[in-house]
Amino acid sequence: MKTALPEDIAEFGTVAIKQFARFGGPQAALRAETEEQLRAGARTALSDLGAFDLDVRSSAEDLLAAAVLCQAAGAAALPYPLVEELLAVDGARLALVNPEAPRIDHGDLAGDWIAADLDGTRYRVQPSSRSSAKLGPFLVPATLIQPDGTVPSADVDLHLNLGSWRILGAVQQALDIARRHVADRMQFGKPLAEFQAVRFTVADASVAVRGLSELAKYTISRTESAPAQVRSADALILRLKAADTARQVLRTAHQLLGALGFCDESDVSVLDRHTQSLIRLPVSAEVLAIRLTKGVAGGQFETLFSAPVSA
Amino acid sequence: MDYDLGTDAVDLRKRLRELISTHIPEGFLGACTDDPQDLATTESFCKLLAADGLLALAWPKEHGGGGGSVWQQTVLREEMWAHHEPRGAQYMGINWVGPALMRYGTEEQKARHLSAIAAGEVIWCQGFSEPEAGTDLASLRTRAVADGDGWRVTGQKVWTSYARMASWCVLAACTDPAAPKPQRLTLFLVPMDRAGITVRPIRSMLGPHHLNEVFLDDVEVSAGEVLGEVGDGWRVMREALAFERVGIARYARCESLLDRMQAELGDDWDRLPESIRTRWVRALIDLRVARLLAYRAVSLQDDPSAGAAASAARIATTTCDQQVAELLLDVLGPAALDSGSAAPLHGAIEDHWRYAQAATVASGTIEVQRMLVAREALGGKG
Repeated sequence: MKTALPEDIAEFGTVAIKQFARFGGPQAALRAETEEQLRAGARTALSDLGAFDLDVRSSAEDLLAAAVLCQAAGAAALPYPLVEELLAVDGARLALVNPEAPRIDHGDLAGDWIAADLDGTRYRVQPSSRSSAKLGPFLVPATLIQPDGTVPSADVDLHLNLGSWRILGAVQQALDIARRHVADRMQFGKPLAEFQAVRFTVADASVAVRGLSELAKYTISRTESAPAQVRSADALILRLKAADTARQVLRTAHQLLGALGFCDESDVSVLDRHTQSLIRLPVSAEVLAIRLTKGVAGGQFETLFSAPVSA
Repeated sequence: MDYDLGTDAVDLRKRLRELISTHIPEGFLGACTDDPQDLATTESFCKLLAADGLLALAWPKEHGGGGGSVWQQTVLREEMWAHHEPRGAQYMGINWVGPALMRYGTEEQKARHLSAIAAGEVIWCQGFSEPEAGTDLASLRTRAVADGDGWRVTGQKVWTSYARMASWCVLAACTDPAAPKPQRLTLFLVPMDRAGITVRPIRSMLGPHHLNEVFLDDVEVSAGEVLGEVGDGWRVMREALAFERVGIARYARCESLLDRMQAELGDDWDRLPESIRTRWVRALIDLRVARLLAYRAVSLQDDPSAGAAASAARIATTTCDQQVAELLLDVLGPAALDSGSAAPLHGAIEDHWRYAQAATVASGTIEVQRMLVAREALGGKG
């Protein structure tokens, strides 16, 4: 068993983090809310990394590279629909939507879009214009024109998985910011990091983030080998855990940063607001959990004791 | 990345499940019950494992072990705990007394104890905790006073698991109260039938045999019964306990209980309230995460970050244990409080809930594990 990312993939992730830091990190994402050209700059940063040459559908190595790229993008709140473009179909970016209330992150960007729901039903789509929402500031309401066939379940699963890697990057970054803040911030004559209540809070968040990281690696490593129904359950499992972990860790980061965490000049505020679209959409964590109850009843949710599921 | 445990580990899991289904009776809940047949079951099962080199799987072959890989050891931990630890009280001797003897024991001590442990012929208990020293073990007060070539030990131990079943004890005592804390303690290997040792069981919600008091009244111990060097007990204890770094595979029993409960419910599982079914989903996810954290800690082996990784795994798995205990009692509704063989799953759920209360206390409290994780995240010692 090898539980670590391959060295070359980890190095690629480090390069991506540096590239997105040069682009401006979460503060560039904040400016992109009002400065249109920055999203084009984000695409250039991705392109320079070779993001759009990655074949996530048929190369396991490219998929791993895409995963760490999404993680780095999540840590920087990179203002670009990376997952949607990595999974483009015939040049049209693929958005995962809830047909009851379709919204597409960055749906106002030039270019074609198609949409799919979690069941794989494909829709032609008409994005409208962006509102100035605080949470998910690049979300665009969209109209689904009509069902238009299906997309492979593998695409839906990859969408959920790669989006979860973006969430992983965001929560790792939020925890790191909180960790550095409590080490620096003096109260009652000593750093916050010396108060046991603070240390235990950081420990709990750290365990949650470690757990999500292990689950993300495990899930992505077996997307090719797992039977399709198990792979789909795996993707829901990862996305649900990512959403739950994000809510816990971002809340912790806010609490530890105090009032500073609410301010847009703090990256925690930007990370939190910009990651909400992934945490809440295409469906809430609770709806993901309800969908997974079928996987438990049907045996697709693998455990140490479940019977093997045929491919 | 590769999450394959390997063919040998997968084969071992199959073999263990066959052995368990053949030799462990339905409704078995471990050795610590009022029924003496349960202890007898574990004794015969240990001999069966020992004959296949599976009891001391991790040990080198020269000491009667199986020379198993770390992933075979992981599978052994999972399967034994999932099936209510049919090794019974052997767990302690195998997991850390033996390895500590291999590292610090004299040739005479090794010859006397190792083959007996590997053969499943002897039960050990651990005389560490005291009324005034639990997590802060270095402050223990049991006193060993030099007497000729040997020692005389007086004091009290508490929470000592298996003390009434055990024939030997690894006893920690203070040999030099004036020394700095790390040099005060010495470990002794003492037979439990030695004059001056009295064991008193402590009634508890965990069940019989789990907790005992051990009173030591001027107990004679020879120089040849010192484990390691005099005054080096604290270091030996810390290193020995690190052999068990990843801890009990509690996630495995939780997954087993959920699986068995689901089978018992059959189609009624779909009729459980949605809130219960979504809790079930989250519990299974948390168990998968706990298992992966344990695998991560195992795979890091001697890496400096392995300690914090193991603490993270322990936090995840012990909290899961209690989460699943609550979930299953809620699933059972009015039958939740029934115990004994007529209760759901032969009382395994009620038994699990009671035992789960100790999960975040035993073998290093969750607070200590949080301190260790925080130490890596933030530095410092608090």
